[in-house]
Amino acid sequence: MSSYDHFSYDTDREVYSAARARALEALLIKKGVITGSTVDKVLEYFKTEMGPFNGAKIVARAWVDPAFKAKLLDDANAAIAEMDFPAGMSGAEGEHMKVAENTAAVHNVIVCTLCSCYPWTTLGLPPYWFKDPTFRARVVREPRAVLQEFGVTLDPAVQVKVWDSSAQIRWFVLPERPAGTEGMTEAKLSTLVTPEAMMGVAKVKVA
Amino acid sequence: MKLQHNLGGLEGLGPVVFQKRVFVQAWEERIFGIHVAMMALSNHLDKAIPQYPIKQVPTTFKDFWTWGHLRMGAEGMNPFDYFRLRYYEKWLGGISGFFVEKGYITAEELDAQTALYLASGNLANAPLPAGGNAAIDTQVVRYLREGDSPKGAYAGTAKFEPGMKVKVKNVPPIDHTRLPGHLRGKVGTIDSVYPDAYGYFFPTSDGIGSPMPVYLVSFDPQDLWGAEKSEPNSIYYDDLFEVYLEAV
Repeated sequence: MSSYDHFSYDTDREVYSAARARALEALLIKKGVITGSTVDKVLEYFKTEMGPFNGAKIVARAWVDPAFKAKLLDDANAAIAEMDFPAGMSGAEGEHMKVAENTAAVHNVIVCTLCSCYPWTTLGLPPYWFKDPTFRARVVREPRAVLQEFGVTLDPAVQVKVWDSSAQIRWFVLPERPAGTEGMTEAKLSTLVTPEAMMGVAKVKVA
Repeated sequence: MKLQHNLGGLEGLGPVVFQKRVFVQAWEERIFGIHVAMMALSNHLDKAIPQYPIKQVPTTFKDFWTWGHLRMGAEGMNPFDYFRLRYYEKWLGGISGFFVEKGYITAEELDAQTALYLASGNLANAPLPAGGNAAIDTQVVRYLREGDSPKGAYAGTAKFEPGMKVKVKNVPPIDHTRLPGHLRGKVGTIDSVYPDAYGYFFPTSDGIGSPMPVYLVSFDPQDLWGAEKSEPNSIYYDDLFEVYLEAV
């Protein structure tokens, strides 16, 4: 086994962390810092209102509506505000967003080498691989090699653009619409879009 | 020098573990929620763009807590621990330590409460306290919806224009930085200037804090890593605060 294996810990360590987190939450409730339902409310918000299901709808709209796509690439927050979403699309970690468009000639991938900056309102919370120091360290120098590991093989003629968010802008990728989806409705198209495609480490596939 | 400021380009790490889950253990969700609540109840929010009435929110939390504070803690860790611990293990350590250091709880009561849950042998059935003032939760959800934009007024004009070459300064980062180490001393090209000036949660010793122009800067990977260590037909972009850049 590799000495750097994140996901197989001894049980004691997990049980201790679970008890510690619960102890902290219990004390914070008891001391009036938060309430007995604060954490549940936060988690519910990301399950029901802000998640990658929003980004998928934005991508599908951009595929079917060229005027919307142009606006999205020019001013993402303004374009997203025109869609029918719950209030808060420019809320926490979505205040200032930018979109990079994949084409036949350009493939984009996002990263945050200093931490884990991510557009919460459109993509939800970042998956573990995105927060992994190995991904963050490697994708800036060898994006093609990393993409290959993720199952995306790019033609040498395709230019790779890596977007590192070190300041206040949160990036996401507008993936290419796959062939064979010409007759699909916008709603159907949105079901094809994965978080990984909106981060640039996967292509959208027809199921 | 901190390894955490210099992850970009580090070699010898092996394949990326393609774990797509956001949380891999149930407890990780709880510490995430606590961190969000702390950001949403932070005492600086009366000066944030929505000017939250934070002093009227009936929480006992009276401190300043932002992403900047969480990141600074992670950057201050022993770098071997930074790699050894999983993402939310770092949060659990940093956030528990903060509450003890600031006197909200004592290390003894945290240990005792932890032992209580461990001794029960049945974490899932050991209940959390209920209740509390609902106005706290209202503020937390409002923060999520309205955010804490770093946008601010800047009286000057941007020093650089699209197309200009700029050199990234090699300022010492000390405790916290938003300048990736692999860019220090490198030359890039201004792609664009963001229309708004952006501040940072607090002043850092390397010069960010009050609102200033922010640029999208492009770099040729060969200039960052050398011809042998870089891949062809690729561009690397980074968003950089003006104070980190100088004219070439």
